[in-house]
Amino acid sequence: MTEAASLSELTPVPEHVPETLVYDFDMFKDPAYRADPHKRVLELIDIAPPVFWTPRNGGHWMLVSHSANFEAARDCEGFSSEVLPYEKMEELLEQMADESGRIPRAYPINLDPPLHGTYRKPLQGVFSPRTINELKGHIRTLAGELLDAVAGSGECEFMAAIAEPLPVKVFLGMLGMPVDKYPEYRALVRAHMDAQASSGASDAIGRLQKVAAAMRDTIEERKDKREDDIISMLWGVEIDGRETTQEDLENYGVLLFIAGLDTVMQGIGLGVRHLAENPDLQQQLREDPSLISNATEELLRRYTFTVPPRRVAKDMEFQGVQMKKDERAMLFLPGADLDPAEYSSPEEFNLKREGAHIAFNAGPHRCLGSHLARIELNILYEELLARLPQFRMDPVRPPSFNCGHVVGVESLHLVWGD
Amino acid sequence: MKIRIDKSACVGNARCWAISDELFPLDEDGYIDIEEFEVPAGKEDLARRGARACPERVITVIEN
Repeated sequence: MTEAASLSELTPVPEHVPETLVYDFDMFKDPAYRADPHKRVLELIDIAPPVFWTPRNGGHWMLVSHSANFEAARDCEGFSSEVLPYEKMEELLEQMADESGRIPRAYPINLDPPLHGTYRKPLQGVFSPRTINELKGHIRTLAGELLDAVAGSGECEFMAAIAEPLPVKVFLGMLGMPVDKYPEYRALVRAHMDAQASSGASDAIGRLQKVAAAMRDTIEERKDKREDDIISMLWGVEIDGRETTQEDLENYGVLLFIAGLDTVMQGIGLGVRHLAENPDLQQQLREDPSLISNATEELLRRYTFTVPPRRVAKDMEFQGVQMKKDERAMLFLPGADLDPAEYSSPEEFNLKREGAHIAFNAGPHRCLGSHLARIELNILYEELLARLPQFRMDPVRPPSFNCGHVVGVESLHLVWGD
Repeated sequence: MKIRIDKSACVGNARCWAISDELFPLDEDGYIDIEEFEVPAGKEDLARRGARACPERVITVIEN
């Protein structure tokens, strides 16, 4: 029971939370969750209340049902994305900047409407399905190169070989950053992922400053010499009627980094694990690749992997539950997409399933990069199935997972051939 | 058959557009660019599928 011993401390349950709504779940360290995340999610749906309070990690709400997530995600007045109210946060960041230098803001992910819309609007065209569709060829080339490099070896640790490098390379290419920044960004992504999987304080600010610093030169160069990349596009947009500044571009770069890199990797890891465990599905998709886009959607639903945090913005009753201002609530989207009230036999992978999942969240904070993520996942699955023979999990090296605001795969050893 | 869309509630998932870019056109930002339309004969099933694909549930099918 060494793992159980490392769970975060239990904090006293607030008086207004009835005992019937308390369930002990450590979203970072729960041993069963870390052993096989979505198996534990199904169990939680079965035995925990649809909205419950956990005394772990300082104590917070967990929104598990589809209905709770769908409603809360669209109620920005009740469930704020601002860790602290905007003015307070700005004040704090300005104070801290005196000591540690300017701190980049990941706007608009941590803002509420209407300011959220002000900072999101300029990005929407850049991440629209049409703009993103033009990247398909580039992404396919990158995926093919990575896969060909391992195809002959009969085995690989898929996260390090494919799932991590692909989104980082796509990101650098889209932003127009030099390829020699790759090792630096790869290391920053690693550090970011390690921090995501822990509840404790981490050097988040220093890391965001490094992310911004690594793109500073490219941003400056593009100001006067535009090219066909996102940094150039962002120099051309306006925020609320004013031109963008160097600081705005660094903020956006940091946003794209924290929202778009490890998430795609984990989606790839979880999807490829399912394929490796289901050779019949691989065969079906190889025989009819037109089914792969359905498979991408169903994998996103079956293995939804983000848990966005919210702050309860006022005392309120939510779905019969009393919540108090400034309590924390997690949109447990993996639970929403496995809710039997919403999806029949949710544990089954069903290529013919219709209807929509909310793996990219709902409401105004719907994942801005969802169109890019879908294309990366889809192309990766297509190229993987085309370039490798039937692959399976390495029987002697089982996968390992990490859990937190992103549910992910730590290692995924695959084997193929004889 | 008619389709009615609560355009102001669209958050840009573009799943309807993925089912049929002809029935469900997008604006420059990738959000729905139409509020209401008669479904052309023969496209009923496509229209229903487009409506079901919306994670935000803002597309209503009005059967005649």
